[in-house]
Amino acid sequence: MAAAVVASTARWVRVRAGVVEAARLRCQLGGSRFGRLFLLPSAAGDVAQRRHVAHFTFHPDPENRKYVIFGEDVAFGGVFRCTVGLRDKYGKDRVFNTPLCEQGIVGFGIGVAVNGATAIAEIQFADYIFPAFDQIVNEAAKYRYRSGDLFNCGGLTIRAPWGCVGHGALYHSQCPEAFFAHCPGIKIVVPRSPFQAKGLLLSCIEDKNPCIFFEPKILYRAAVEQVPVEPYYIPLSQAEVLQEGSDVTLVAWGTQVHVIREVASMAREKLGVSCEVIDLKTILPWDIDTVCKSVAKTGRLMISHEAPLTGGFASEISSTVQEECFLNLEAPISRVCGYDTPFPHIFETFYIPDKWKCYDALRKMINY
Amino acid sequence: MTGWDNGVLFTIQKVALPVQPLPIGPNPVLNPRAKIDLIPSAEPSATPGLATLETPGAPGASILDTLTAVYVYSEEGATEHFGLPRSRRAAPILVPLLVGLGVAGSAAVGTTALLLASWPYFKLNFHSPIEPRGDSAPPLGSRKGLGARFPSAQSTTGQRSPRGLCSLSGYRCLPKMLPVASRVLRSASPKPPGRELLAARNFVNEASFDIKKCSLHRLEEGPPVQAVLTRDEGLKYYKNMQTVRRMELKADQLYKQKIIRGFCHLYDGQEACCVGIEAAINPSDHVITAYRAHGFTYGRGLSVRAILAELTGRKGGCGKGKGGSMHMYAKNFYGGNGIVGAQVPVGAGVALACKYTGKEEVCFTLYGDGAANQGQIFETYNMAALWKLPCIFVCENNRYGMGTSVERAAANTNYYKRGDYIPGIRVDGMDVLCVREAAKFAAAYSRSGKGPILLELQTYRYHGHSMSDPGVTYRSRQEVQEVRSKSDPIMLHKDRMVHSNLASVEELKEIDIEVRKEIEDAAQFATSDPEPPLDELGHHIYCSHPPFDIRGVNQCIKHKSVS
Repeated sequence: MAAAVVASTARWVRVRAGVVEAARLRCQLGGSRFGRLFLLPSAAGDVAQRRHVAHFTFHPDPENRKYVIFGEDVAFGGVFRCTVGLRDKYGKDRVFNTPLCEQGIVGFGIGVAVNGATAIAEIQFADYIFPAFDQIVNEAAKYRYRSGDLFNCGGLTIRAPWGCVGHGALYHSQCPEAFFAHCPGIKIVVPRSPFQAKGLLLSCIEDKNPCIFFEPKILYRAAVEQVPVEPYYIPLSQAEVLQEGSDVTLVAWGTQVHVIREVASMAREKLGVSCEVIDLKTILPWDIDTVCKSVAKTGRLMISHEAPLTGGFASEISSTVQEECFLNLEAPISRVCGYDTPFPHIFETFYIPDKWKCYDALRKMINY
Repeated sequence: MTGWDNGVLFTIQKVALPVQPLPIGPNPVLNPRAKIDLIPSAEPSATPGLATLETPGAPGASILDTLTAVYVYSEEGATEHFGLPRSRRAAPILVPLLVGLGVAGSAAVGTTALLLASWPYFKLNFHSPIEPRGDSAPPLGSRKGLGARFPSAQSTTGQRSPRGLCSLSGYRCLPKMLPVASRVLRSASPKPPGRELLAARNFVNEASFDIKKCSLHRLEEGPPVQAVLTRDEGLKYYKNMQTVRRMELKADQLYKQKIIRGFCHLYDGQEACCVGIEAAINPSDHVITAYRAHGFTYGRGLSVRAILAELTGRKGGCGKGKGGSMHMYAKNFYGGNGIVGAQVPVGAGVALACKYTGKEEVCFTLYGDGAANQGQIFETYNMAALWKLPCIFVCENNRYGMGTSVERAAANTNYYKRGDYIPGIRVDGMDVLCVREAAKFAAAYSRSGKGPILLELQTYRYHGHSMSDPGVTYRSRQEVQEVRSKSDPIMLHKDRMVHSNLASVEELKEIDIEVRKEIEDAAQFATSDPEPPLDELGHHIYCSHPPFDIRGVNQCIKHKSVS
């Protein structure tokens, strides 16, 4: 009882500490696009869950005992409270903690998946995924290929909190999707909202390929949305056009989608420019058709992400689009990304590609 | 009649007649800005021409309310202006009060001072002179906190009860009396009689203590079970531990005020580890540790100012504000590393460099109980043992890896044995002398070319893992309290020094005051120093490269990288 009170106090403290970041993000987003509605979890009735968190709700078939969740501190609920209540619901042989060893976690997860179970491994922060890089790239991604489809670890899904959060500094803010995008054999997915998160995560879990699911950690607290209680699936490798437009195409994923939506409305008000906003959702394999069709229509493309510019995924999109749509382009493709520096501690507000930088780039593209 | 003009000036015009007493209203002394409505008083004035303006006495009004009476002397047709300066308004009422208080107060203070000054003299007359006490270890058996948790590492020394004056209740009073007395008398005379008194106590210059025997793995001989502590060393360790403690508490405070942001992992409770190791090594030896690094940063020579300013992200910080809590560096101190376990192979590399350059330096590579399960640690053990690197692995086992207790994280919680082929020593990490002796032993072992060695320091952190962790969801408050009351490193060291007459409580308290002041100054600096300029965003990416533009957002602010 006392522990529960203390735990809720701790959560309250954390929520309070996150208020500034959430407020900053809301300013950036220009007011809440989402309604202030409850996120109804599958474990309904748990008051603690009816808060403004964008975590997924997990719906394995209770009869099928082949789903396991593991990672550092997942048993008590996880440092972002994503797995709260799952251990009680599904048992401690299915939801368990691992020691502090990312390489071990992923390697172990590959083994579990190869044997037919569905493994959902959590890496506590995306910044810590690098000890497991070898296992992901050299083992998980190549398993099916090298065994000629005899074996595969398609049942593996790796989840990791991703992206800037306001106070993360070097090792709690990174966006490593570009590193993995260079590796055929895995799928990379980044949701932008609670509704998307649940659908995409369930799709990743069902998908017969190893998937990495990056969850924007700033949205755990800042995003509020109504989410159906029943399971539903959002198809992978399909980008979504959030807003139709005719002048510029804006592409982003994760948190940055909200920034470019804000930029689109700014452009409409101030410049009279109609923007087409696309959420890429799946980084690998990415939906080339949707983006190229859109660029063919508008003639201008801006891609935005938090990761550093050089070698970021925007470079891949940019390169492919100029191959496919060269004659349609009316301005050079613009990439609004983070600087080519490690993610700074004190300079974060200057580092991230906020709406002003995006708006400025858009304006220059329009006036090209 | 006009009312008060801002409570200072009012104008009274003579009223025709008869002059009636006119109460002013609220007490203008106690409430000078009150709006005064002039109300005729019921009582007619005794003296014609004299109007008594009284405050309207509310039922139960205090005497002070009625003390304010403004007497109006005027003639017909005259206009009187009264300006009462504030100071003089208060004077009529408060002066007698103050005088009375002053007399009584000074009498009381004088009497108390006389009593306090002479009390020690009385006490000394009644008791036998204090004898210098030699080997008097604090009763180690009373440290049940850690003893109960680590039953295999029991103290082998006998129970020693404090002897002499300490056992009498009188000694309890003495610490309270002496500092007050000395402070009172210090103001009177340049050389406080308290000091003469203390000098008369004959501090010993050094004392030898029994320390806990360490568990050994693959070693015949371990660190000595007796440690010699000189007075100077003792004071230095005390000061250093107290500084680290206060600095961490100040960081806690600043974090809660949101002056420090981001991540902050505090080291209080573990001071004996950093001070003990630092005492055992030379400044030319090398240290690398994980993110709980503030204590070692201080030990390696950085000032509290530089550390706190780095925490607050200012340019006076040791990393110019760009590193933060987890990335502080100093000479022969390689941080401050955020990724768990990543510093251990780096430490082995530093050790290789020591061996390669032939300078007989060693590298202390620290990690925690959580990191002890990382794969790269075992890779490092292998390399260090294979090549006989002068690398001392130190596992600071504070029993919790973030929120996971060691029993739930490790199949083998004897971290000193996890090196397998590497010899290991388990050390009581709350006893600064124990840590020092073990570190000295380990450094000597490695320096002589025998290769790596592993120390497990059994210690405890009072705070949670970081500032976002309350620290009580995975352990009970009683446990924290128990360790704090029975095994606090500063308390143990202090008791040891005082019981063996190496120092007095008053002296140590003075050190406390000094330390407090230093921390306050540092916090002041850390709060007021400016942040690094925005140009720093791009600097120091590469080395000695001609300045180039940082690629980032096109057509935006261009940042140059200069190094």
